[in-house]
Amino acid sequence: MAAQPKLLPVHQPSYLEGGGVIGWLTTIDHKRVAVMYLASALFFMAFGGLEAMAIRVQLWRPDNHVLSAATYNAFFTMHGTTMIFLVVMPLLLGFLGNFLIPLQIGARDVAFPRLNALSFWLALVAGILLHLGWIRGGLPDAGWFGYANLTERYFTPGLAIDWWVIGLLVSGTSTVLTGLNFLTTIIAMRAPGMTYMRMPMFMWSMLVTSILILIAFPALTIGLIFLLFDRFFNTHFYVASAGATPILWQHLFWLFGHPEVYIMALPAFGIISEVVPTFSRKPLFGYPMMAYSICLIAFLSYGVWGHHMFATGMGPVADSAFAITSMLIAIPTGVKIFSWIATVWGGSLRMTTAFYFALGMILEFTIGGLSGIMHASAPIDLQQTDSYFVVAHFHYVLFGGVMFSIMSAFYYWWPKITGHMLGERLGKWHFWLTVVGFNVTFFPMHFLGMWGMPRRTYTYGADMGWTHLNQLETVGAFILGIAFLLFYINIFKSLVSGEPAPADPWDGRSLEWSTPSPPPAYNFATLPQVRGRDAWWIIKYGRAGSRGVAAYMSGQAPASPQPAEPADVDHIHMPAPSIFPLVLSLGVGMMGLGLIIDWYRIVIMGAVGVILSIIGMGFEYASYGEESHDPEHAPSSGGIDVRKIGIWSFIGSECVFFASLISTFIVYKARSVSGPGPEILNIPLTSFSTFVLLMSSLLMVLALAATQRGDKRWERIWLGGTVLFGLIFLCGQVYEFTSFMREGMGLTTNLFSQSFFVLVGFHGAHVAIGVLWLSVLLVAAMTGNLGKSRALSIELAGLYWHFVDVVWIIIFTLVYLMQAVPGA
Amino acid sequence: MSDIADAHSGQVHPGAATYLIIAAFLIVLTAMEITVFYVHALRPVLVPVLIVLAAAKFALVAMFYMHLKYDGWLLSGVFIFPLMVATVLMVALILLFTYLSHHLAPIA
Repeated sequence: MAAQPKLLPVHQPSYLEGGGVIGWLTTIDHKRVAVMYLASALFFMAFGGLEAMAIRVQLWRPDNHVLSAATYNAFFTMHGTTMIFLVVMPLLLGFLGNFLIPLQIGARDVAFPRLNALSFWLALVAGILLHLGWIRGGLPDAGWFGYANLTERYFTPGLAIDWWVIGLLVSGTSTVLTGLNFLTTIIAMRAPGMTYMRMPMFMWSMLVTSILILIAFPALTIGLIFLLFDRFFNTHFYVASAGATPILWQHLFWLFGHPEVYIMALPAFGIISEVVPTFSRKPLFGYPMMAYSICLIAFLSYGVWGHHMFATGMGPVADSAFAITSMLIAIPTGVKIFSWIATVWGGSLRMTTAFYFALGMILEFTIGGLSGIMHASAPIDLQQTDSYFVVAHFHYVLFGGVMFSIMSAFYYWWPKITGHMLGERLGKWHFWLTVVGFNVTFFPMHFLGMWGMPRRTYTYGADMGWTHLNQLETVGAFILGIAFLLFYINIFKSLVSGEPAPADPWDGRSLEWSTPSPPPAYNFATLPQVRGRDAWWIIKYGRAGSRGVAAYMSGQAPASPQPAEPADVDHIHMPAPSIFPLVLSLGVGMMGLGLIIDWYRIVIMGAVGVILSIIGMGFEYASYGEESHDPEHAPSSGGIDVRKIGIWSFIGSECVFFASLISTFIVYKARSVSGPGPEILNIPLTSFSTFVLLMSSLLMVLALAATQRGDKRWERIWLGGTVLFGLIFLCGQVYEFTSFMREGMGLTTNLFSQSFFVLVGFHGAHVAIGVLWLSVLLVAAMTGNLGKSRALSIELAGLYWHFVDVVWIIIFTLVYLMQAVPGA
Repeated sequence: MSDIADAHSGQVHPGAATYLIIAAFLIVLTAMEITVFYVHALRPVLVPVLIVLAAAKFALVAMFYMHLKYDGWLLSGVFIFPLMVATVLMVALILLFTYLSHHLAPIA
């Protein structure tokens, strides 16, 4: 019998108590991970805010030189990068998503708790890497979108862009792991009775956001990998003189960049959809349409990236297509705004600070949405692009829409998270100063933009007529700064001497309010049974939810039942803490650091740390990765194991990763200005390799079938055969690469060679990882540690292996057999 | 050999005989691809024929070896949606760059 995982003591009264520093460093509790995200985001928000203030000070008067031009560039770059990647996303996903997803769906934790901790530590490492330029090499200074070819080493020498590239790659990895985790959690770990159409709207937003993350981030990853190769290995993915085009970067970046807007906006919509019904004491108006709207916004968001690129000259057909999709997205967004208004209409309103911020969001986001529709029109966009009008627009969306929502979420869920109320009086001051400061700062930018003030401009002449509005904006920015100062003070006061929060201070509607404030480590002593939408409201008041409102209107306080706590919670199994996520992240950080500062000993040490951590995580639980999933909790996914959903989600994300690589190869293969081209490819050799890889897939499924039959002998034989065939494929690839080198085609020879080597090399790396994975399983099989009960371990590795196989089917066809077909 | 039940999901997976038949199909399809590549008379239809053959191989592996045919709609959805997005992305990028290459100054 396999050894059982270590169990946490489950008698902790609150998730915040106990464990000390080590407890926090090794925690995999989703709530503690959320709090760590919160701490890091608040720290970086102070940085990003101060950078914004410095920008406004510089623009206070014409011909100002408070900052040098280089520092100014660095500050607006880091302001954008910090706020998007280190503040808004960590707050929405890492903090609110992490804390609320298990609580709102009635689960005890996320699907992959250790992966969750790894996501946080990687995000922190990314934040540190992005800021190490303060110490060495300077801060990144090419804008938050890092346009090529400004980011090439020829134009931006030094380390600044290197920090940016490596930092964002690590940050992207963290975010993809989070998306994978959340998607699996929401699909598979909902409480009994919680169908999709009974989920809180915030869960809908997180579900769809997770899907967006998985299909949007790979494009950015590929764009960054190309840039990394350009800067570190002298390739020319974005260098026009080599036949390449910097516009490739814009496509890859905005393929990520526009869905990214909705990765930030959809959770914000989810927050407002929770806060507005609670403080209106009405169910959310048009719940199904709200859910469908979220799906439609996400779907359309992937087809609008071109509206960021009208000025690049994509042609009338593409411009029209992107204009239409960009305008269409206003429809589901409008549905949401009208649904919120209809929810408020006729409600029994309680004007709390959380509700203030929610109402503020509806107004400010609408303004940002309206200016967004203007950008959907290509001719108008050509007038507005790269002007301060765009700065006004996206701040109305991202601050007016998203940050107002985050603030609303703070005032709403803070009592649940900390067990203390935030001060309402200070909160109202915070709100009004934010409204005034925000609008005074950003509304005049519409006018400045239309008057021709370009964004990112370091300074301006006195004769431009921009001085007074710039001064007004700077005053507004300082008012906003004071508002944030009050917010930090409010948080501090709440933590030190805040009024204790009851379990359900707002008469809430969803399941998190059924737990104590703050919740225990195990969230729910007894897993809830969900009988309808607004699950907790139904538990409190029955299906006739209006009785709750009626009771309030007649002056009778609703009789919120206190959550029942059984005397014995020993039966609850919580996954044990783990140090490996932290060690693995430190290893990744060391690898990134060493690569940038050319200190390869650190790279090797980091790599050793990463490998040891992965091995450690693999064997941490005797049952090969099983994280002691709650035996009480049957998956809400039709019996499909969470790990299977997880690996399929990863494979889905990989589809976009390889599609970006393959597209680049097809686009670039005929654009080389010199050197060999596709005719160098060796069809007989790769035909043999293809045969070998296809047969390895056969051996893999035979191994699985043998395992499922309990046939240990054939399990080992087929597994060993799969590993052997994988190694033969890799040897063929090594032979092919070395023969190309001998024939004078290296990585940097031309566009064909670099896009070929990167595409086929990444596939080879996937094969190598698969061979390692299967080798571990083979060892487990040889030592008698596999078998019928662990057939899923084989199936998961097999799914990955078959995916590598189908990718090769595509590569073999598009790269090798279509070599004679000219590229675009 | 008989079909085998997956202990975790209760889904029935095909047995070795089905896997061997699929492997035979994969070999035949790959042989057809290579043949098409070497027959010059087929060059005009090379692209559509190769795409159809590759898609058939892809579908066989996904449906039978990855068990999508047997594992229900959920996993198919988790895979097919991003796959469609990836396909649209590839087509869109190729079309956009085709336009770009026809409207840019030639490479020096």
